[in-house]
Amino acid sequence: MSHKITRKMDLNSDDFYVEVEAPLVAERFRAGNFTILMTVPHGERIPMSIMKAEDGKISMFIKKLGKTSRELYKELDTFENVIGPMGKPIDIKNYGTVVVASDLVCGHAENYAICKALKEAGNKVISYQTFPTEKEIYPEEVLANDVCDEFHLTTEDGSKGEEGHYIDLLEERLENGEKVDIVFAGGSLPNLKELGEMTKEYNIPTIVTVRQIMVDASGMCGACRVFVDGEMQLACIDGPMFDAHKIDWGAALRRPKMYAEMEKVALEHCKELGRCE
Amino acid sequence: MAIKPRVPVREQPAEERIHNFNSVPYGYSEEEAIAEAQRCIQCPNPTCEAGCPVNIKIKDMIRLIKEGKFAESYLLTKQDNAFPACTGRVCPQEDQCEGVCILVKTGQPINIGKLEAFVADWGREHNVTEETVSASKEKKVAVVGSGPAGLACAAELRKFGYQVTMFETLHKPGGVLVYGIPNFRLPKEIVQHEIDYLEEIGVDIQLNMTVGQNISFDELRENYDAIFLGTGAGAPQFMGIEGEKLNGVYSANEFLIRANLMKSYLFPEWDTPISVGKKVGVVGAGNVAMDAARTALRLGADEVYIIYRRTMEFSPARNEEIEHAREEGIIFKELVNPVRFVGNDQGWVTGVELIKMELSEQDSSGRPRPVPVEGSEFIMELDTVIEALGTVPNRLFLSRAPGLKTDRKGVILADDNRMTSIEGVFGGGDATSGAATVIKALGEGKRAAESIRDYLEGK
Repeated sequence: MSHKITRKMDLNSDDFYVEVEAPLVAERFRAGNFTILMTVPHGERIPMSIMKAEDGKISMFIKKLGKTSRELYKELDTFENVIGPMGKPIDIKNYGTVVVASDLVCGHAENYAICKALKEAGNKVISYQTFPTEKEIYPEEVLANDVCDEFHLTTEDGSKGEEGHYIDLLEERLENGEKVDIVFAGGSLPNLKELGEMTKEYNIPTIVTVRQIMVDASGMCGACRVFVDGEMQLACIDGPMFDAHKIDWGAALRRPKMYAEMEKVALEHCKELGRCE
Repeated sequence: MAIKPRVPVREQPAEERIHNFNSVPYGYSEEEAIAEAQRCIQCPNPTCEAGCPVNIKIKDMIRLIKEGKFAESYLLTKQDNAFPACTGRVCPQEDQCEGVCILVKTGQPINIGKLEAFVADWGREHNVTEETVSASKEKKVAVVGSGPAGLACAAELRKFGYQVTMFETLHKPGGVLVYGIPNFRLPKEIVQHEIDYLEEIGVDIQLNMTVGQNISFDELRENYDAIFLGTGAGAPQFMGIEGEKLNGVYSANEFLIRANLMKSYLFPEWDTPISVGKKVGVVGAGNVAMDAARTALRLGADEVYIIYRRTMEFSPARNEEIEHAREEGIIFKELVNPVRFVGNDQGWVTGVELIKMELSEQDSSGRPRPVPVEGSEFIMELDTVIEALGTVPNRLFLSRAPGLKTDRKGVILADDNRMTSIEGVFGGGDATSGAATVIKALGEGKRAAESIRDYLEGK
C-alpha cells in the first residue's frame, strides 16, 4: 500500500517540501485536518499538517528533526501509509476579517490551507508568515501570498520583509484599532501560548494548532490529551485546533518532549545504518 | 476408574521469559494432546459445549484428537470458530467450557483451551484447508472494525456467500488481538494467519479507513445492503485525578498499542519509542492490567506493581494471567487506590499518593465494595504509571453516526437479533456490550451474521 512521492524540494536548509499520492486523504481534506504518516513498515505513526490537497495528492512541509524526517529526506521515494484525513476541520464560514499566522514548518502548511479555505468562504484574509531571518524564508510558490487578501512576510531580525514576529506585528495592528474578528495560528507552541495571552487582552477569539505526540490518532490511546477549559480533550479527534485562551499550556508544552532522549537514540541508530545525515 | 491428572503445559521458565516477548506456553505436543484428550470421559450431555459462547463441538473435537485425527478435529473446530488459535489462548476457559466440565469437581477439568490451541496450531502448521464458502450472493455487507466481533461476523457472512467489505482505521487488521494483547500471550503471526484465512475466503479488508472520516456512515448505508458495527470499546478511561497530565503517565491502551501494534519492544529497529522507568505502577487488576504489567517487566522495569483497590481474589483477570504475572515477579499491592499522581519540576511523574481501602458489603458487580480508610494516605515512588481502568466505546465513530441509539457510556443499543436502532445496521462485541471478552465478541459477531442473513433473505 505504498504511496509514491511525486515531488520533494528544499524549502530552506532545515525544512523540505513533500508531495505524495494519497487520493483518499486528498479527496476529503478540509482545512484543519491532518494526516498520519508512516514512512516505512516499521515506522512511527506521525501526525503531519497538510498544505494543500489537489489531484489525488497532498503536499506537506517537513522539518529535518529526527530519524523519520531525515531518512525520508535522504532515502525514501515512497510512504508506507498516508492516512486520513484525521482530526476536525475548522469551522469554515464567513467570520469577517481573519488573521492567519505561523512561524514554524507545520504552521506554514496550515497557514496556506486555512487562508485558502477562508478566502473561498468570503472572509477578508490577512496572512502573517514569520521566519527567523531571510535565509529561512520559503520559496514564494509555497507561501500563502496567493491565497489571502493581505500578505505579511516577516523576519525576526528584519533581514527581509517586515521586521518582527507576527505576535508583535499583530499586536500593533490591534493597538491601532484595526478590526480582526478571529485569529487562526500554528507553529511554535510557546509562541502560540504567548499569542493567546496577547489576543485575550483584546478579546479576539484565537484558534491554534496544539501539536502533540499521537499514536493511533483515532481516539484510542490518549497520548495527545490536551486540557481545555479543565476538560480532557484529544487533539486527534477533538482537535488539533483549540481555543488558545482555554488551553492548559503547561501540560501541552511539556508532553511533546516526552521522548526527547529516545528520539536521539533513534537518530543515532539511523545514522549508523547510513540512512540519515 | 480414577481420572489421571491434567497433562501439564510446558512453559518458558519465568526467569527466561521476562527477557523476551515470545509465547509463554509452548503448547501440547501430539502425544501430550492425545494424553490430555484421553482424560475426557465423553459425557453423553457435554456441559462444556453449552458453556462455549460460540458453541464449538468440544466433545467431538477432543474425541478426534484422542483418535489422532488432528486435521478432522481442526476442521470441525473451524466450522464454529474461525479463530481457534486465538481463543484457545485468550478465552477465560475457567469461566466457560472448563468451568462446567464434569471433571471440575476433581479440580482437574480437561484443558480444553490448550487442546483447542493445539488443533489450531496443528492445522496451521500442516496447511489444512477446506473450501467453506457457499454459492456467491450479490448482496453486500459492510463490516466496520476488524476486531474479534467484525472478524467473526465477516467470516460467517462470507461463508453464507455475501460480498463482505471490512473497514479498519489502523494500518493492521485484528483490533485488540493485534494492538492490545501482547505477543507473549498471543503471538501475532498466529493472529495474522487466522486473518489471512478471511482474505483467502474473499473478505475485502480495507485498512486505514475510518468510517466517519474517509467514508461517511451515510455512504455505507447507501452502498451496502446491511452493516455490521464491530467498532469495539477502544477509548481509554482515566481516573480524572490530579497529575494525569504528567509525562510518564500512560493509559494501558497507549502503552500496549506502542508495545504491540508499533512493536516498541524492538526499538530502535522499529521506530516507535516507549518510556519505562525502573519502578512501574499499573492501576487496575484485569487482563489488560496484567498485560501492561508483564510488558513493562519485559521492557526492563526492575519492579512492577499492580495497584488494586480490592484483593486479587476479586480480580476480573484470567487465573492463568494472574499466575503467570505472579511467577514473573509482579508485585500485587492490594487494597489501595490512587488519590493523585505527583511529579517533579520537569513535569515527570515521580510517584502516586495512595489511600488504603477496606472491603465493605457487596456492590452491583457482586464483589465487595472497596471503601477508603480515612487518613491512611501515603506516597509510593514510581517512575511510570499505567492506568488500566477499562475502556469505553470510541466517540469518534459515534459522533459521525447520529441516529444510532446508545446508552450513557456510548454503548450501542442492539436488540436480541443484534439489530441496532437503525434498520439494517447490526452490532456486536464491545461496541454493543461495553468492554468484555474476545470470545463474547466472536459469539456476537457470529450471531449477528445469522441475523443479517435472515434480514437480507427477508425472513
